[in-house]
Amino acid sequence: MAGDDAAGGPPTRPDERLLNLVIALVNTSAAMTKQQVRSGVHGYDGAPSTEAFERMFERDKDTLRALGVPIVTVEGSGHSEDVGYRIDNEAYALPPVDLTPAELGVVALAAQLWSDKTLRTDMSRAMTKLAAAGAADAAGDAVAGLTPRLRAAGDAYGPLLEAVSERRVATFRYRAANTGQVRTRTVEPWRIAARGGGWYVVGHDRDRDATRVFRLSRIDGRVRVGAEAGAFTIPDRVDVDAALGAGVGSERTAVLAVVPERAPALRARAVQTDGPVPRAPQGRDVVTVPFRSLTAQADEVAGYGVAVLVLAPDELRAEVRRRLTAAAALDGGAHGTAGRDG
Amino acid sequence: MAERADDRLVRLLGIVAYLDGAGPVGVDELARQFRVTAERIRQDIDALWVSGTPGYMPDDLIDFDAYSLEEGVVSLTQSRGLTRPLRLGTREAVALVAALRAMHTTPAVQADAERAAVVASALDKLTAATGEAANAVDVRLGGQGDARVLGTLTQAVSAGRRVRLRYVDAADVTSERDVDPVRLVTQDDATYLVGWCYRAEGRRTFRVDRVLDATLTPDPVRAHDLDGDVDIFAQVAADAGQSARVAVLRLASAARWVAEEVPVESVTDLPDGSFEVRLRVTNPAWLRRLLLTNAPDVLAVGPPDVAADVAGAARDALAAYADVPGLG
Repeated sequence: MAGDDAAGGPPTRPDERLLNLVIALVNTSAAMTKQQVRSGVHGYDGAPSTEAFERMFERDKDTLRALGVPIVTVEGSGHSEDVGYRIDNEAYALPPVDLTPAELGVVALAAQLWSDKTLRTDMSRAMTKLAAAGAADAAGDAVAGLTPRLRAAGDAYGPLLEAVSERRVATFRYRAANTGQVRTRTVEPWRIAARGGGWYVVGHDRDRDATRVFRLSRIDGRVRVGAEAGAFTIPDRVDVDAALGAGVGSERTAVLAVVPERAPALRARAVQTDGPVPRAPQGRDVVTVPFRSLTAQADEVAGYGVAVLVLAPDELRAEVRRRLTAAAALDGGAHGTAGRDG
Repeated sequence: MAERADDRLVRLLGIVAYLDGAGPVGVDELARQFRVTAERIRQDIDALWVSGTPGYMPDDLIDFDAYSLEEGVVSLTQSRGLTRPLRLGTREAVALVAALRAMHTTPAVQADAERAAVVASALDKLTAATGEAANAVDVRLGGQGDARVLGTLTQAVSAGRRVRLRYVDAADVTSERDVDPVRLVTQDDATYLVGWCYRAEGRRTFRVDRVLDATLTPDPVRAHDLDGDVDIFAQVAADAGQSARVAVLRLASAARWVAEEVPVESVTDLPDGSFEVRLRVTNPAWLRRLLLTNAPDVLAVGPPDVAADVAGAARDALAAYADVPGLG
């Protein structure tokens, strides 16, 4: 970890400098100016120049705010024109939570859900704060034998969460599912959602002037977050599943042509259909299964290879064929292309 | 390994607030409370001891009773105003509440009313303490699954009873097995049962949506030397055997999860953002399925016979589509 290049003596560690800043701002009677921080708070005295101090102090304020420390700005008055800083002691404290050991056990287990390092860090910090509030030993009995896990959200999560939380506009390059074209999108993000192994952001697309859903894995490069906070309002009720629409969430049925004796796991989920059943291709059974996630259903069917074909819907067949076409090229097209487009 | 400055700060503030409420506490107990080593706690106390308000004269500093500390007891005598636990930051509240909401919707939790009630009450208390911000992220886990099968498995895990499964594996072969269940793992949109399989005489992982039927037996589970907290994808490969060849996959960055969730031997990042993984092919049917499923993100596969196997399987399937009128 980088030191602070103090001219004399060992540099103060950043965590210890931050601690002294919190103590100073909690105890200050009115507020402290930057100059008072620089000359008074342990750890800042070593800054080699005013610019270096300003950078350090700005970064530290950001760090503390991200951790939930409510630093407020006080306009200069009377003797001084300078802006002052203090910690809002009313807003500082965690309200009483009073988790039972069984509930704390549930929270500890839920912490294992996340795969992303940043989310795990957020979670472990939350656990430290609950421990500070006196949460007792966790009891795992209520959820014994359970482990929830979720696929990583990736790099877009951090900036998008900041954008949703502070109602800032997000801009990113996005690869459209159907055309593969990459375009810059400008979005007022409302919710980040995970469904069926995929991560999405739901919001208002400013260019389309409509509600749109974007898959995080199709975001190309960085998400840029707008400078203006409170740039839009989030609707009172955001129905993520409705926004995801037919793609994910609502239940549909897949009509599959399955080789006899194969795919009993699929057959076990088979349902009767009211409508006319398509005629089975030769040497296959028609099996109808309900599904919610197009991606997950396409993954499953593609995994069976020739044993399971999609008769309907077209969208599912297209997704399966996209996987198969890519797989058919994996040996460098040594045998030419057997699959025909159509 | 160096700890992040903000993580340590949260603990330093937390220790003072906790001690202010709890009174003198043993070093070991404090270490347990904050899930760190006793050595870390002692370093934290040393850091707190020299911190305080500007001036930093003895009366300005956070203080502990030195005599008690020699006896292994941490006794706070001056808190310098850090008496209250710090509230949750937005990111922390979001991670916590979204995880609990997701857990509440998992089939494995919903299959047991008592369980669902505990998760719901934890969620209520934390939502009350964190407010609106926590709505930013909405996670649903679990997907499909035969409620009856899941109910039987949940009951078997909590009661410690053996189950008889009719199961169809990745190679699409159906078998009957007696299993001592250890744990139900929900990962993304699927739930898995981890247990001791009497047929295989070892630890096995079963996808719950591939369990065709589950019956509770009267037999209690036996003690087995196995770790129930497994990584599902690691387990899938480990289950299949030992003597295995190595396959090398080059994957687009979108398939990063493969490097995280499949038991790879090595991961090499490439300049163009793609990456290469080496993994043991313990089960050819499993690898073929992995490649077919993720083919759009697979840039290259070696050795050639592995690539030929999956490409051949894909061509057979595409040819079958071509043969069906209206689909080809």
